[in-house]
Amino acid sequence: MGANAQTSVPTFTAGQVLTAAQMNESARTGVPVFADTTARDAGFGGAGEKTLAEGQLAYIESLDVVQYYSGSSWLTLGPAADSGLTLISATTIGSAVASVTVNSAFSSTYDNYHISLVGGVASGNADLSLQLGATTSGYYCGYSQVTYSSGAASAASNNAAASFTKVGVGTADSLFMNVNVMGPNLAKVTGINGAYGVNLPASTSVLFAGMLYNTTQYTAFTITPSSGTLTGGTIRVYGYKN
Amino acid sequence: MTHRIQIDDEVREATREEAAAIDSAHVAAAAQAQQEKDKAASVASARTKLAALGLTEAEVTALLGA
Repeated sequence: MGANAQTSVPTFTAGQVLTAAQMNESARTGVPVFADTTARDAGFGGAGEKTLAEGQLAYIESLDVVQYYSGSSWLTLGPAADSGLTLISATTIGSAVASVTVNSAFSSTYDNYHISLVGGVASGNADLSLQLGATTSGYYCGYSQVTYSSGAASAASNNAAASFTKVGVGTADSLFMNVNVMGPNLAKVTGINGAYGVNLPASTSVLFAGMLYNTTQYTAFTITPSSGTLTGGTIRVYGYKN
Repeated sequence: MTHRIQIDDEVREATREEAAAIDSAHVAAAAQAQQEKDKAASVASARTKLAALGLTEAEVTALLGA
């Protein structure tokens, strides 16, 4: 049993005289808050301080995490605050708009991003195009399509096009976009890939991958339907932790 | 044609230049859709002609895809 292990969780009664040991036990069972890990390490084991032992918890302000002491090292409880995907922005699409631009989507904080669009509708069946910044040339992408009913395959492509033209879809009952964007804020060629399913009469699934062949560093993108307008739904941008 | 566009959370009427860009994108998309339609029709026609020449379905698929 560790130095800080408890054998009971006491309840004191009104008027009871508490011993120093009982007071210490009460004071030491809360989760102490430290500014950073240096302050945490200095907070145990000194004169008049609690002995550090397995099971000890601590909250670290600089990391926004709760940690526990395993008996030999401090480990983070649950995922770190900056791990995995981080939601950068959520933009709700207005009523009957012909295009939506999302600014401040890409930055030097992350190399890679995920863009999702779901929840809205289009005024009719339409492909959704993706344009980065104000660039209207140099988009290359291949689209592999399979029709659900027949299994027939078909293909489409963008070759030095003005945008990625089929990276999402809109119908009278749905909007779908699901795109990974690699390095849009780097001074490198930007890559994309993604997939979606279409719920049209000639329903198909679509897989695609491509690139924007320049070294422009982008911060914004625009989604435009091939015809008609978009209403509702949310465009979410996530950053992949570097 | 006028268009309403959205910049982040603001929705407004498109300027003449912005509207022209959207119209141009619509024209390009329609052209691409027609091109894909024509290609699909060509594949269907080729499939029919190859079958008439005696090729099996598997052979036609090997040549043209699924």
